[in-house]
Parts: sequence; C-alpha cells; structure tokens
Amino acid sequence: MRLAAAHPGFLTARDKVMTEHILDVQDIHTYIGQYHILQGVNVRVPKGGITALLGRNGAGKTTTLKSILGLTPPRQGSVVFDGQELRGLASFEIAALGIGFVPEHRAIFRELTVEENLRIAERRKGDYARKEAFIFSLFPDLQRLIGLSGGALSGGQQQMLAIARALVPDNRLLLIDEPSEGLAPVIIEHMMAAIRQLTAEATIVLVEQNFLVASQLAETYVIIEEGRSVQAGAMQELINDKATIRRYLGAA
Amino acid sequence: MNTFLRKNLLLIITLAVLAAFLAAASRNMEPSDFVITLLRGFSVGALTFLVASGFSLIFGLLDVLNLAHGTLFMIGAYVGWTLYVRPDTFVDLVTPLALLVSGFALTDGWRHLAARAPATGRLRRLAPWIGFGIAALLLAYILPRYPIAIWNVDDYAQSPVAYSLAASQGQAPLPPAATFKAIAPGAAVLGLLVSSALIALGLTLIRSSGQAGRPLTWRSFVRVTLLLLIGLGALRFNDALTAWFFALDTNWLFSVAVIVSVTSGAALGGLMEVTLIRPLYVRPIYQLMLTLGLSVIGTELVRAIWGRPEFTMPKPALFAGAGEGCPATSFGDWLTHYCSTIIVFDGRVRVYNEIFIPLVGLIVLISIWIVLKRSRLGMIIRAGVQDRQMVEALGINVRRVFTQVFALGVGLAALGGVLAAPSIGLSNTMGESFLLNALIALAIGGLTSYPGAALGSLLVGLLQQFMIKYGQIGIPIPFTDILFKPTPPIVPASTVLLMVIVLLMMPNGLLGKKE
Repeated sequence: MRLAAAHPGFLTARDKVMTEHILDVQDIHTYIGQYHILQGVNVRVPKGGITALLGRNGAGKTTTLKSILGLTPPRQGSVVFDGQELRGLASFEIAALGIGFVPEHRAIFRELTVEENLRIAERRKGDYARKEAFIFSLFPDLQRLIGLSGGALSGGQQQMLAIARALVPDNRLLLIDEPSEGLAPVIIEHMMAAIRQLTAEATIVLVEQNFLVASQLAETYVIIEEGRSVQAGAMQELINDKATIRRYLGAA
Repeated sequence: MNTFLRKNLLLIITLAVLAAFLAAASRNMEPSDFVITLLRGFSVGALTFLVASGFSLIFGLLDVLNLAHGTLFMIGAYVGWTLYVRPDTFVDLVTPLALLVSGFALTDGWRHLAARAPATGRLRRLAPWIGFGIAALLLAYILPRYPIAIWNVDDYAQSPVAYSLAASQGQAPLPPAATFKAIAPGAAVLGLLVSSALIALGLTLIRSSGQAGRPLTWRSFVRVTLLLLIGLGALRFNDALTAWFFALDTNWLFSVAVIVSVTSGAALGGLMEVTLIRPLYVRPIYQLMLTLGLSVIGTELVRAIWGRPEFTMPKPALFAGAGEGCPATSFGDWLTHYCSTIIVFDGRVRVYNEIFIPLVGLIVLISIWIVLKRSRLGMIIRAGVQDRQMVEALGINVRRVFTQVFALGVGLAALGGVLAAPSIGLSNTMGESFLLNALIALAIGGLTSYPGAALGSLLVGLLQQFMIKYGQIGIPIPFTDILFKPTPPIVPASTVLLMVIVLLMMPNGLLGKKE
C-alpha cells in the first residue's frame, strides 16, 4: 500500500486526485530580505510514511519547511495541507491545523523545564496528560530528566525533547529538520528507531544531510538544488541511481 | 551548595560590598534616621520597580524599548488623581467611551461582512476612508456638544488642583454638572454608535485578507449588550452616579481610582501596541523613535489637560488620620486611629509612603513572579523571550501575547503612577525621572531579568534616599575630620555611578543572563 502511495508522479497534471497527498507544495517562491531563496519548489507528500528533502547545504531545504509553516511566507505558489490552502494564514494558525515542527538546532526553551517544554506545546487542555505515556515509551530518558531545565540537556536529549514536544498535540504532519545533526552514531540509531515508530501517528517530512540516515528512513524523496526542486520519486530507485546521488548530493 | 557559591560569586561579593557600605554608612546615623531612610528607599524602590518590571517584561518579550513608559506612569497618576478629586468627569466619560468601543465588539460580524464584499476595486479601497471621514465629522460635531465636566486649565477655581486642595481640607464641593448643548441626547448616542461602527468596519475592511471569518458568536452579542448597558446606564443615571461617587468614603474612592487607573493604563497600552507598535516590529529604530515621540506627546497632553502646577493627591482616610492618638506608637494603635504617621525607633514614619507602598510593591513582585512561574501565560512569556518563532510554530498566537504583555507592563506603570500621586506628588516631570530610575535599575539588575529588575530598583531607591540623608547629616571621611555632604546633584549621579561600577564588573548586570 505504501509503495503505491510512494509514486506521486513528480510534476504531473494538477487534476491528480488531491486526497492521497496530505501536503501539496506547488511552485513556491520565497524571499528572505532581498534574496530569492526558493525559486520554484514542488513537494508532494503522500499520506503516511516519510518523505525526505535532500540536497546540499544551503539548497533551500530548511527554508522550504519554514515556508510551509509560514515562518518565511512564500510570495508565490500554493501550499495545500489536507485540502486547505495555507498561504495567507499566520504561522500559529498553520501549526494549529495539526503540523508539528522540529527545527534545526532543536530550539529547546532553555529557561523552561523539560516538563514545561512539553506542556507549552499543548493545544487543548489535557494533551500532555494523554500523550505522556506514549512519549516516555519512545524516549524513556526524558522521564528521568523531567525536572531539569532545557538548557541543561545534552544535544541528543534536546533532540529527543524537540521531537517529543511536537508529539504533544495531535499533529497529522511532522516537519523534522536535521534530526541527526551533531549526534553520536548510537544516538542516531535510537533517533531513527523513534522516528520510524512515529509514522503510525503522523506523516513525516524529513530534512536530512546524512544520506545514509535519510535512505533508511524515507520511502519517497525530493531533491532541492539551488532553490528549485529538481527530482522526486521513490527512495528505492534513488538508492540505485548512483549518478543522481553523485550529482546532487555530493558523496554516495 | 559549593557550586551555587561558585556560580554566584560575583553577585555575592557585590551584595556583600553593598551591605558593608550600608553598614558603614549607618555608623554615625541615629537608628531612627537609618530606619526611616531604609523605608524611604524601599518606597522609591517599589515605585521604580513598578516602572522597571513592566519595561523589562516588554523589552524581554517584544524587544521594544518603550521610552514612553515614564509618561504612561505619569498618565496613570493623573488619571487616578482626577478620578479621586473629580469623579464626575469620569462618570461623564463612561458613556462616550463605552459607546465608541461597542462597535469593535462586533468585529467578528464586520469580518464576515468584509469577506462578502468584493475583494478588489476602487470602491472597496475607498470605502473605509469614506467611513472614517463620516465618523470624524460626526465626532467633531457631537463631542464638543456632549456634556463632559471638563475644567478649564486657566481657571484656577474650577481646576482639579482647586478641588484637590478642597478635598485635602475635608471639603468636597460639587462641581456644576455639564449639560447637552444644542443636541438631543438620543441623536448624540446614535451618532456615537454609528461612528464607532464605521471606524470598526473600516479597520476590518483594511485588514481583512478576503477570508471568511466566523459569523457573529453569542460572545460578541454579550459584549455589545454589556457595553450598551454600561454606556446608556451611565447616561441615564449620570447625576445619581456622580452624587454617589462624591459621597463615597475616600478609602473606597482611592481603591476605585487605583482600579480605573490600572485598567485605563492597560487599555492604553494594548491600544498602543496594536495600532502603533505592531506595524513597526520589522523596523526597531522607528519603534524607538515612535515611543520617544509618544512620550513627548503624552507629556504635552498632560500639560494641556491638567496644566503645570505640581500637586500632591490627598491621601485616603485610612492613611490620613491626625489629631487625637496620633502619631500612633504601635500597629494596633494605628488600626484604631488610622494615623498618617507611626512612631518607629523614635522616628515618625509616614504609613502610606513608607509602609503601604513598599507592601504593594512586594505583593506585585510576588504575584507577577507566580504568574511568570506557574501560569501558561508566564510559560509562554519565558519561552518567547528566548525564541518567538518556535513559540509561534507550536500554534500559539504570539502577537496576542505581545498585546497582553504590553498591556500588563503599562498597567503596572499606571499602578506605580497612581500610588506615587499621594506620596511624591504629581508633576509634569515625574515620568522622566522614574523612567531614568527604572533604566538605571534595569542596567544594574540585568535588562530582561525579572528578579534583576526588583534588585536593581531596590538598590537605586536605597542609594538615592541614603544620599539625600547624607546631604543633611554628612559622611565623615575615614582618617580625616572632613565631613562630606553630598549636594543634591550628587543624588542622581550616585545611582549612575553605581550603574557604571556594576556594568564594568558584570556587563550583563547583577542577575542578567550571559548572552
């Protein structure tokens, strides 16, 4: 079933049935200051599973995530989440529709305790109480650290907390930016196992520099190069396509 | 414990040095002088804290240096004073204000209407401005004819100063009531309602992005009904309300003055954030210039409405007792006579200035601390100080929190102002001096640290008051027989000097976070 959904058909006609895609980003252009960062990015995310955004440093992967969330609002194009156009909405309204964000460098609130970091993500009263057990089954370490302030955690613990924070409300889509960055291999393994488990809860869009990690997690991919999406398809095909990997991602 | 000591070594040393300074300073002071000066320091410190804490909350979360904060402190004082000596003006103002706000309570409905209107075209672009124009004409016609018991600044006998004097001598003459001039009350009410609706609809039209909003909720109906009831009720029972206010016990009147002053301060702050500060978040320098300009405009407005004379608001009966049994010698004694002063260590302590104000400051300090630490709003504020974008990405409307924090900050300043009115008194310069105090206190304590604001304000208050006292009794310089008497200009200079010393040693202030 997943394989069927894994062939979104990159840049196909717009009359394709929308419902099988939870997120449909069409030709967005985003400026930061006077710089034209995104110059036409298309991302179609099939419902369920993991889609990886690949590309070199500075290609515009993080900006794509931020544009989806409206943190850097696109000037052109459309972003449709579950049948609803997101352009023109404020970031908090977009997030409240059910999109969780795990940013680059984690953005843990250092002054807040681990528990407060989770509680602040509540969208309705009782979210935290409902999800507590699930979160601690994924990341047992966090339970031990619950009273510590966010600034006192190690990088790996902060990454776990950042993902856990996105799990507190009922999110249907998770945008995860560079979860493996700066972590030890053992912790990366743990993180990957956790992310794999999350697919039962939500669809995931993953930005990942480490191709090994991305190729093991994602079923579909989109390659972004110099602010444009240049290729998309099933991860299985990309793994065997050494030429493309060398061309857009540097090493294989 | 050991790590705590190491982490806070500099702070402990600084405080120890200050404690040593105070101890040395008290050597040749009478105990009564020392206690009174200490309490006065607490009093000035508490007022400074009320300005500084709001300023620091606003700066911490919004990155706005609100240079108008001192002026808003002063406006709080004048509003409270006016309500205290001229409640009739306040009663007269309730009706037009409630009616003008009522249009905004229906914003949901206007948004719904705006979504249905054609989204483009010249008419759509012009319509709001035509509405504003009609509203302005209507208001220009109605307001001068509307009965508001306002005084003439140049007519001393009718100015609030004269009423204040009379009130402090125990007489409360009823000022003449204003009447409708050449306009029917019904027409005036209708005109106010129409102009309010036009302004609210126009603003919605300008802002709306063409997206359909929610239709009218029962909540907006409740709000509108409530506002209309308040407005029309205040109009219908104007005379009775005015008489009731004038007959009110001064303690109650003072409480009402505090509440009205704080709410109008908060409302003014919220309005200021939404209309003037919000469009300029991308241009911080313009924001700074704007708040500076607003402070000048505010000061001039106060001068235009209330005039220049410096005045002290009469104290409420609870703190104004004199005559038999006064000054009180014990707390119980004070409770029976409500004396204005109480004897502590053979010195006369003014209850309102030196006990009540520090007490209110302490209560505010603790309650805001609890809000910051325990409530969801406090959690969002603490998180937002670090990373606003991430808070927004969690689905939290940070802009609304900005408005709430701005309103809270200005409300605190207004509370400081109305508390200061009966102690240090009202003047056109009280805002500037307290803003300066607050800025120095924040530099000493740490710009965005809440406990830092408290510590800095306390140090500034204490240092000022001790310097004033030393100006009277002199400091003996050790190993010489020179008696050094600080002259008045040294008082503000001493706090600046303390700030310079602290900043040289700890660039982030005593309790500030290292960046």
